Amino acid sequence: MISVKNLEKTFHTSRGDLPVLMGISQTIEKGEKVVIVGPSGSGKSTFLRCLNLLERPTSGEIWFEDEEITNPKCNINLLRQKMGMVFQHFNLFPHLTIMENITLAPTSLKLKTKEEAERSAMQLLERVGLADKAQAYPAQLSGGQKQRIAIVRSLAMEPKVMLFDEPTSALDPEMVGEVLQVMKQLAQEGMTMIVVTHEMGFAREVATRILFMDQGQVLEEAPPQEFFANPKHARLQDFLSKVL
Amino acid sequence: MGNLILNPQYLAGFDIGRFFQDLYMNLGQHFYDAFIVKNRYKYIISGLGNTLLITLFAVMIGIVLGTLVALIRVTHNNDKKKFRFLNALCSIYLTVIRGTPVVVQLLITYYVIYQSADKMVAAVIAFGVNSGAYVAEVIRSGIQSVDKGQIEAGRSLGLNQKTTMIKIVFPQALKNVAPAIFNEFISLLKETSVAGYIGVQDLTKAGDVIRSITYDAYTPLLTVAAVYLLIVMILTRFLTVLERRLSASDIR
Repeated sequence: MISVKNLEKTFHTSRGDLPVLMGISQTIEKGEKVVIVGPSGSGKSTFLRCLNLLERPTSGEIWFEDEEITNPKCNINLLRQKMGMVFQHFNLFPHLTIMENITLAPTSLKLKTKEEAERSAMQLLERVGLADKAQAYPAQLSGGQKQRIAIVRSLAMEPKVMLFDEPTSALDPEMVGEVLQVMKQLAQEGMTMIVVTHEMGFAREVATRILFMDQGQVLEEAPPQEFFANPKHARLQDFLSKVL
Repeated sequence: MGNLILNPQYLAGFDIGRFFQDLYMNLGQHFYDAFIVKNRYKYIISGLGNTLLITLFAVMIGIVLGTLVALIRVTHNNDKKKFRFLNALCSIYLTVIRGTPVVVQLLITYYVIYQSADKMVAAVIAFGVNSGAYVAEVIRSGIQSVDKGQIEAGRSLGLNQKTTMIKIVFPQALKNVAPAIFNEFISLLKETSVAGYIGVQDLTKAGDVIRSITYDAYTPLLTVAAVYLLIVMILTRFLTVLERRLSASDIR
């Protein structure tokens, strides 16, 4: 479904070039739940953001459903409609109600009429237990509620893949569970998911494959069982001894 | 009645008690001379009208010009290849307008650029173009103050750059800068007081005309000041209400 070939990304800063991704090749099949873990600064988020071109790769290719999206001719907006993204800081639109947040993209892009969009938005809101918040503004919601709305907002576009960029890192500990619950439900329904997270419990329970990244490279990849029970790379052993 | 302040008896030995006593005794007469005789109050009324008219139209030009300049500069900042020439033009505009006094700009507009134009039109254009430079910077800072994550969220949903700007960034930017823009208009109202330099009969000029007719500076000029103050106070009051209304969606 997604295949990445020799992906590299270098940030050009005023203090010189900063290589963040140093040659990543991966293939992600439909229905897979890939969890990416690793220390901060390892390039996890940058890798995820390259997949929907929020960051332009410096070199390498990304293919999505037989289309090379790194090709300048590729319609990037059309591509992003099929890839939902959930951010660490939710990024809900503060000037719009929850309902407007969810229906903005489907109606602006003329994929649905206002009525259709609102009907499916209500269904999604009921699924995450927030139907009563439809007319509220983001500022009136808790962090966990905001993140669940952000997931719903992405789902309203009926994406084929969902990208999660540390979705629980900005939450109070007691709100983490409610967001992970929604993500688990989504995984059970067969959504293809790529998740950058520090939640090892979630990785163990939901992932079909875990990638360990450090210094811009994927050092190890394995199914969760093997990943946690039998880490091969010394850097991963060290990492796991600190986080588990 | 003569001129209170230049009266020789005060110059010889200034007696503050006498000054206020005379002032109080003569106040009615001064007022009568300055405003009632020959319907002189009409200077003030028509002057105020002109001041408000210049401000209103200058504000409109300022908003349109400022928004345009801000958009060009923000677009260029995001993608250096776009609008390279227009951006250079905007930079020159901002530098020149913000680096020279408004009176000089007004004189140049009237005497150099629009030699035969209506004085009011010249004043409106001069103040409008001047205000546009300041509004542009306010709007630009407003657009840039919107969190980058908002744009990323919009784009990640598949909205294009234009739709993201119109539906997500601008509404938030406008809310952030509305008080600052309103403040800019309050100062513009006061700045138009130099319109008399090209002979526009604005509020300040009206007071000055009455002063030159009656040889009494005190009454007309203080009255003019009071009128400005009153209008600014009303506008400021309005601004407070506006700010409260705008922050309504921030309440938890």
